[in-house]
Amino acid sequence: MTDTITPVNAEVHDEKLAEESPTRSSFLSYFGTKLGGALISLVMVVLLGFFAFRVLPGDPVRRIAQERPMSPEQIAELRRQYGLDKPVTQQFLDYLVNIFTGNLGESYVYRTPVSELIGQYLGPTLLLTGTSAIIAIALGLWLGQRAAWRNGSLFDKIATGTSLTLWSVPTFWLALILLMIFGGTLRWFPTGGMVSPGVEPGTFAYVVDVARHMVLPVVTMVAVVFAQYLMVMRASLLEEKSSDYLTTARAKGLRDDLVRRRHAVPNALLPTVTLVFMHIGGLVAGAVTVETVFSWPGLGKLTYEAISGPDMPLLQGTFVVFSTIIIVMNLIADLIYRQLDPRVRRA
Amino acid sequence: MPDLVFDDVSITYRTAAARGRGDIAAVRNVSLSLPAGGTLGIAGESGSGKSTLAMSALRLLPDNAVIDGQVRVGDRSVAELSFGELRALRWSEVAIVFQGAMHSLNPVRTVGQQIIEALELHVKDGWRTAEARKARLAELMNQVDLPIAKAAAYPHELSGGQKQRIMIAMALACEPDIIVADEPTTALDVIVQGQILEVVKDLVTRRGISLLMISHDLSVLATACERIAVMRNGELVEVGESQQVCTEPREAYTKQLADAFPTIGDPASRLKPVTRRTESVVTGSIDAIGAADASAPVHEPTKGGAGATDEVLLEARNLSVTFRSRGKTVRAVRGVDLSCRRGEIVALVGQSGSGKTTLARTLLGLEAPDHGGQVLFRGKPLGRSTKRLREFRRQVQLILQDPSAALNPKLSVYESVAEGLRIQRFPGDERERVAVSLENAELTPPEHYFEAIPHELSGGQRQRVVIAGALAMTPQMLIADEPVASLDASARGEILALMLRLRDELGLSALVITHDLGLAWNIADTVAVMYHGEIVERGATETVLLDPQHEYTKKLLAAAPKIVGREGVLAAAQ
Repeated sequence: MTDTITPVNAEVHDEKLAEESPTRSSFLSYFGTKLGGALISLVMVVLLGFFAFRVLPGDPVRRIAQERPMSPEQIAELRRQYGLDKPVTQQFLDYLVNIFTGNLGESYVYRTPVSELIGQYLGPTLLLTGTSAIIAIALGLWLGQRAAWRNGSLFDKIATGTSLTLWSVPTFWLALILLMIFGGTLRWFPTGGMVSPGVEPGTFAYVVDVARHMVLPVVTMVAVVFAQYLMVMRASLLEEKSSDYLTTARAKGLRDDLVRRRHAVPNALLPTVTLVFMHIGGLVAGAVTVETVFSWPGLGKLTYEAISGPDMPLLQGTFVVFSTIIIVMNLIADLIYRQLDPRVRRA
Repeated sequence: MPDLVFDDVSITYRTAAARGRGDIAAVRNVSLSLPAGGTLGIAGESGSGKSTLAMSALRLLPDNAVIDGQVRVGDRSVAELSFGELRALRWSEVAIVFQGAMHSLNPVRTVGQQIIEALELHVKDGWRTAEARKARLAELMNQVDLPIAKAAAYPHELSGGQKQRIMIAMALACEPDIIVADEPTTALDVIVQGQILEVVKDLVTRRGISLLMISHDLSVLATACERIAVMRNGELVEVGESQQVCTEPREAYTKQLADAFPTIGDPASRLKPVTRRTESVVTGSIDAIGAADASAPVHEPTKGGAGATDEVLLEARNLSVTFRSRGKTVRAVRGVDLSCRRGEIVALVGQSGSGKTTLARTLLGLEAPDHGGQVLFRGKPLGRSTKRLREFRRQVQLILQDPSAALNPKLSVYESVAEGLRIQRFPGDERERVAVSLENAELTPPEHYFEAIPHELSGGQRQRVVIAGALAMTPQMLIADEPVASLDASARGEILALMLRLRDELGLSALVITHDLGLAWNIADTVAVMYHGEIVERGATETVLLDPQHEYTKKLLAAAPKIVGREGVLAAAQ
């Protein structure tokens, strides 16, 4: 054997010299960059919030004047009260000053400060959409990875088919159907609101009551959105399925489900996470339809009412809140992604 | 210690008949055996079925692969094992060294975790507890010559060579009896390749592990294996002792494979790369090869320097390129002087990270040189204005390493070649120019290729399309970055021969960037060796490669795997 071999003994170990240990302290600068980006988006939203609603058709004062007879003097007085008599630039400046002092103005319709209203309605919305989001994500990701791992199987076909069908169903239609069957005909669940009248807050009965009220809106929201998570996860895992490192894992003698759980899924989750969090933001905003149909006392319903006003300060307020939630979610997605993917952690 | 035996193995991939390909026979009636403690190499081009055969040893093939015949480890047939038995066999008895430089490691787990995972799956006496496993990990890292701190690194933080060492450590983890190494050194440069082969060889001889190694490069196999099997189109062409296979092959195909990677210093391969034409003439006997050689395009070795004229086409003067990012400065190119004359082929040689690609980009005007450096084209400094650069880029065309990635998969050959003409607003008959370019790139008849999409062409044909696209601009010079590194042995020879022919017939100059000294020996008039951003040695190919002066050039030459017996024959002939 030896005579066919030239001893290969190069002493150049360049590859070893060129290394230094990775620095983990870059987290702050990464966080700073992402936070800065989020703040800039927020400023843009605040600016947009003012102008977008000035373009809306409909004059709020005339709308109020339609409901009860008012003299021209009274109308002018109303305009002065709302600051609508001032030039747009002055209105804009007032708006900016107010926003940064935390004052979102006073609702035209409710006659209470917008921040107070929003504080009151935010909780129910977070409860409803949070629950729906968790269930939809868990269901979507789980079905998605199962479907991808057994791509083309009956399970895959049923899961994908069902979710896509539900996805294409209009939200309000599904909500109405559920309401008619389970709320109307079968009377299993209440048809609207969040609490039945007369139930003491803080008791166990209260929790059960709220939960019963939540079932139909949550089912509607989950049914409509889980397909997004399923499809993203499925596509992402399908891409990973042909990776070489899975062959390595299999060759090591790993059981098939461990190959999936330990190696394939963590990698497939990377592109999924960003999309999931971006969708959560959208989910909160998408609560408008569901909350309106089920009379859920949340921000969505409040927005719906504000649009029909048009109650401009309230609209501006909910718009800023919804946008902030979406921006925060994207920020969280960036931070989580960094934790999950060591390649980003270093950059 | 068990033997690994392939007994009349055939492997067929069942594909959906609707896609029109039906069943594909990847391996046909192959019988091979690897005795305990032995070393066997399998050589072949891509598509020869060598990897499929190796993966069948652990039943790692996709579900649509049907295996006939028997694969035995010891006296057990792999096909008859239950899944539990198979998992126990995997890694603890037969382990695989994958091509670690690519994607064989999970990117989101540390390499240490991935090695420990194997230990946890196959608990043996040596590592029953977590501490013992840690100790074992340290021992393994030590065996492959890596500091233990590297175990905490993620794959992307390691160089190609380090990843390959990790793959080897992982394969050794559970003390297997047999190791299958699938292209363990492909995509590594010569010096790192030498180091890895050294590690593999050392471990095999010291621990008596049997080794089955797969490669497209006969000289790599000759370095590490006692016996070599040559495969082609799923069939076994030849099996024998390494030296016999490499120096006195019984089959013409083996000789062709061996010659694809030339021996530096062998006048037979100087300015004469092996082409597939040999193959079509050869009938199988040794005598026919001589005749075939004569029919291959002949380039007199003496013509080397004489092919070039005195006119300097492209010149770099005191060229430096510095990259600055986040407080760090990297001096990729330092004070380089380089010139390429009309009709001259210059090979720029160096290992990865030496700055050769940055230099090429700067020569093309894609990267701005530091103050004080200059690129001159036909004696005039390269302007920064768009108009000047556009004219310059018509004259100097770039050819990239991977033709599959360089061509838009959706465009037909005609569109790909014509694209550049349209950008440069070519005034003449576009169709005629495209046809002539394809003919010059030896794609004849050109009409036959017009409507083809890259997917339907072989790797060599795709690279020809890329070259045709460059030729369409009637350039005076080609800059080729590793033009044959992603091609098979036979395609490699063809493309190199094409470049020589373009030099002779069209007077085209070329700057070829490569890590492969054999390539320089095959086609270059002049060689420049680059190391840490500097050109450390430059001169006529014969001078530099046969009588290297700089320490680094000597190291590069020493690291290139070669078949010693062949050199012996050579020396005897002289």
